[in-house]
Amino acid sequence: MNSNIWVLMTGDSVAIATTLVLAALGALFTERSGVLNLGVEGILLSSAVSSFLAADASGSIWLGLAVGCLVGAALAGIHGALSVVFRANQIVAGLALVIFGTGLANFLGKPVEGKPVTTTIKPLSFGALSDMPLLGPVVFGHDVVTYLALVLAVASSIYLFRTRPGLELRATGDDPATVDAQGLSVASIRIRYTLFGGVLIGLGGSWLMLAQSAAWHQAATTNGLGWIALALVVFAGWRPVRIVFGAVLFGFTLQLPFTLQAEQITVIPSAVMQMLPYLATLVAMIALSRPGSRNLLGAPRALGQPFVRDER
Amino acid sequence: MTDASHEVARGPHHSGGVAPSALSAHRIVKRFPGVLANDEVDFDVRAGEVHTLLGENGAGKSTLAAILCGLYQPDSGHLVRNGVALHLPTPRAGLQHGIAMVHQHFRLVERFTVSENVVLGSRDLDFRLKRGQIDERVAAVAESYGLPIDPTATVGDLSVGQRQRVEIVKALYQGAEILLLDEPTAVLVPDEVEKLFENVHAMTRAGKSIVFISHKLGEVVAISDRVTVLRNGRVTGHVSGKGAADARELARLMVGRDIEMRPQRATHPIGHEVLQIRNLSLALGGVGVLSDVSFNIHEGEMVGIAGVAGNGQRELADTIAGLVTPTGGSIAIAGTMCTGRGPIHSRELGLAYVPEDRLGTGLVPSMSILDNLLLTRERSVLVDRTSLRPEAARLIDQFEIKANGPDHPARKLSGGNAQKVLLARELSGGRTTTKLLVVCSPTRGLDVGAIETVRRLLNDARSAGQAILLVSEDLDEVMSLADRILVLYRGRIVHETPGETASLAAVGAAMAGVLQGVA
Amino acid sequence: MGIPVRITFEQRGDAPRRLSLLVPMGSVVAALVFGAVFLLATGYSPLDTYSNMLSGSFATSRGVTDTLALATVLICTGVAAAFAFQMNVYNIGGEGQLYLGLIGAAWAGISLGEHLPSLVMVPLVLAVGALSGAAWIFVPAWVRSRLGTSEIVSTLLLTYVGASLVEYVIYTPGSYFRNPNTPFPQGRLVAASAKLDPFGDSRLYPTIIVSVVVAVALAWVVRRTEYGYRIKVIADSPKAAQYAGISARRTTMSVMLVSGALAGLGGALLVVGPYGKIEPSIVNLGYGYAGIVIAALARNNLAAIVVSAVLFSGLRVGGEKLQITTDTPIHIGVMLQGAILLFALGGEAFRRYRIRIVRTGVAT
Repeated sequence: MNSNIWVLMTGDSVAIATTLVLAALGALFTERSGVLNLGVEGILLSSAVSSFLAADASGSIWLGLAVGCLVGAALAGIHGALSVVFRANQIVAGLALVIFGTGLANFLGKPVEGKPVTTTIKPLSFGALSDMPLLGPVVFGHDVVTYLALVLAVASSIYLFRTRPGLELRATGDDPATVDAQGLSVASIRIRYTLFGGVLIGLGGSWLMLAQSAAWHQAATTNGLGWIALALVVFAGWRPVRIVFGAVLFGFTLQLPFTLQAEQITVIPSAVMQMLPYLATLVAMIALSRPGSRNLLGAPRALGQPFVRDER
Repeated sequence: MTDASHEVARGPHHSGGVAPSALSAHRIVKRFPGVLANDEVDFDVRAGEVHTLLGENGAGKSTLAAILCGLYQPDSGHLVRNGVALHLPTPRAGLQHGIAMVHQHFRLVERFTVSENVVLGSRDLDFRLKRGQIDERVAAVAESYGLPIDPTATVGDLSVGQRQRVEIVKALYQGAEILLLDEPTAVLVPDEVEKLFENVHAMTRAGKSIVFISHKLGEVVAISDRVTVLRNGRVTGHVSGKGAADARELARLMVGRDIEMRPQRATHPIGHEVLQIRNLSLALGGVGVLSDVSFNIHEGEMVGIAGVAGNGQRELADTIAGLVTPTGGSIAIAGTMCTGRGPIHSRELGLAYVPEDRLGTGLVPSMSILDNLLLTRERSVLVDRTSLRPEAARLIDQFEIKANGPDHPARKLSGGNAQKVLLARELSGGRTTTKLLVVCSPTRGLDVGAIETVRRLLNDARSAGQAILLVSEDLDEVMSLADRILVLYRGRIVHETPGETASLAAVGAAMAGVLQGVA
Repeated sequence: MGIPVRITFEQRGDAPRRLSLLVPMGSVVAALVFGAVFLLATGYSPLDTYSNMLSGSFATSRGVTDTLALATVLICTGVAAAFAFQMNVYNIGGEGQLYLGLIGAAWAGISLGEHLPSLVMVPLVLAVGALSGAAWIFVPAWVRSRLGTSEIVSTLLLTYVGASLVEYVIYTPGSYFRNPNTPFPQGRLVAASAKLDPFGDSRLYPTIIVSVVVAVALAWVVRRTEYGYRIKVIADSPKAAQYAGISARRTTMSVMLVSGALAGLGGALLVVGPYGKIEPSIVNLGYGYAGIVIAALARNNLAAIVVSAVLFSGLRVGGEKLQITTDTPIHIGVMLQGAILLFALGGEAFRRYRIRIVRTGVAT
């Protein structure tokens, strides 16, 4: 078998992993503050379609990305308001956001369904480096957002564990009553990181649209990536750098069916191949929740619980 | 009301004359739905003194303290700090004015280190966390007040006494001049209480003001310069001067009448063995919780388990009740082995269990009293509520439960009434007549009237020949009720003594893990 | 200083009964207003859109029967979601269990052939469909009750697998479920005895009776039986359940299996009713997801689900007919579903808390 295929595929996995890293980092910041936002899939879809509309109308990638991020923040803001201010059930609120976001994306996307994406993000050029065998496509074949996602992952790790706001963020997700007693506002911290999480998820959705898709089509655009991103956060034990490794792994599984199809390897039907990433995620999740697994120890203790100051 | 204004403050800054108040509260009113928690309360504290807020659970002490530190806003009334009117919208504002609260339930992030907890929320922190530097500063502050702590230790690994020290260091680190200590001794062994008192004195010598919140008369007399007594949200008395505070007088102010803690023991001859525990051991998640526990309880006997929270008492009760399967040893109720066979089997042998957590474990909050009575009884496939209704009404009557009939939801019951519902269900028997009653902290958080009722019910049950295991962190309760006292320390029985002749010193020493030498 | 006012939430002792009805109704109205603003902003006429939706769903007899026809499935998926939600178990993979119900029912309907009378055949097909739905949730239920693995993500991941499975059995040449007589991919018809006839010339099938009976029967089970009592204890406080010797593990398992079976039944009702085969377009219809919204709007009250399912069904049927009558995108219906749920969640706060705006000036 042609070994180049595998090299290309690894490069493609890294590319797909970009959305996963961004969406999972967004979910991670949200969850570290104690808010569970299950609406990732809905945010991805809405930001994808709105970034496409903005980029298509203006011809500017940057405007497209910015609009995608804004829409992400707006939808996350709805979730933040419902879960933090109105103390709604966060699980149901997240699901409502998925439904709302899907409807919104389809509504907005209907007029442009099937229209090709012309304003796209191009890979950066590293000259000769990009043409290197093996390393070229894997390391130097990507666009600016992909590299940004990697930098963000490392920066997030430093932010979380080595800075004052990171300390406050982790404390809010673990023990909001303590943060409140310190005179910090739990609500404001939670809202801020829920919004920031929305921006990251929105960036992931926009990038998926503008760098990876040929045209807008709901089912084909995200294909459940939002849910995989949520599983990835658990998989990574709420640690940013581990998300990158997990994302590449999932990216590889997601890319496999397409590569096999392109290579006309049809031993396994493509419908079966399509199931693989979801089944792999499921298996990984189950393996991680067996007793004694240390991963769940990273879970913020107050995740999903509204904070109410104990007034009697 | 006794006026305190002539008392000379003993702080180092004021060798003569009356010290001005460091913080005062005037005519504070605070309402919660259905409760008037503070009703025109006046309070003040000076630099270098310990001023105690004394009162029963629910008297309004904690509410006042929460207002003093900015956690709650008063509905009316105001605060004055060093002669200037003060508005505290948040605890942070309180901290900025040098007022800090050390909560009864510690506000510490267990996964963080000591120094991370101390600096959390502090204003002068740089963006980058420089751990070495922070650790040094925290250690230095702790040292200067004689409160040694390891800044790099993880809080989750610390003992309760150590955690309290971290809380105090946190307040001092943030520049607190006035420290509010909310029931600080509730979780400590006698030995640790001594240490806390030394620390309190070290702080007052340094000019700090301490507001000490407590409902324990003995320690209040020992530590306070002044005492303000609250009852039902109102100030009922104000006593000043060390030694001037007389325990009997304080008690009268606290509850509105004389109370006496007359010990009550078994009056009937003790009968057959009902509970037999042999070499019981339990490990949870690889950590030993109970080891080699053996004892018996007889008909008409009450055995008290004393110990500091977290020494295996709750697990012992849960294991006897069949909720947890022990790692080794055996349990027999009324002569039948029931080790590891589950709660229903144990109940069929005559077990009844009143857990410490009333609403949430013992009772299902959203369910009615009627449905809660069904919880530990045998239920047919079609739940038969109709035939239970008369009995529920009868129990409500008999146990003097204040409720609007059997459909009253459990979550709307007061603590005392919830406990009465629990006792009504457990004592009235479900699957069979009750032979063994296991009760955990039966009077915790109840008012005096309810405490008396609950103790009377326990005594009646004992007189009726039931075997009772009383697990309580309230040492006075165990000392005054139990026929036999066992002290549990780190999962072992380290001391056994008849209730009649038990000495507080010996039991206290055993609770602290000091076994020998104290008579 | 900060803002001189503060919003406070005071827990109500008891939620007033009128608010229990007012809040869901208010959220529907609020969502419709929101949708109107949205339609205006995107250049459509809200009045036309809504009146077209209404005439397509509730205003004509055709509309009413179409609405009820869709409600048949939505009641099932709604009850499936609510039955699990009431115990704080979030089976959000009803969509996937519905696909499996469809496949299972089609298998039974095809393979049992014409040997059995309708009276035996139809219940049998429905039972196989329900069992298939339960089978699809078995692994998530098992790992949730044994290991505590989040059922939210696991049931959802299996939905994507289920969608691929539907495509696989229809698009694979020579598949058992594929109609061998047509060149283009289509589902193979079940035996005639496994199919019911619609009422008159409508698109409404007697299966609506099954749905309503199931919803009412389950409501009764929860209210009256020991099983229902156990569910309520676990839902409120797992610690109390453990204390009373009620096995949360077994009850969780069984509740999830029942939930999966209900969603599967929804799929089977489609086979027995309008489809008569596997319709691969099912993967784009989102009936299972709609069940979540329906359950949340009915606050997991199993009997009230019948009402909220009919309401939602009307919204969708009206939305779908829009495409024919106007050029408004049909997805406004889905968006409105989400918006109603979001408003209902916000409205819950008004039911549970007394919300006040308090002036926080300096007290003097």
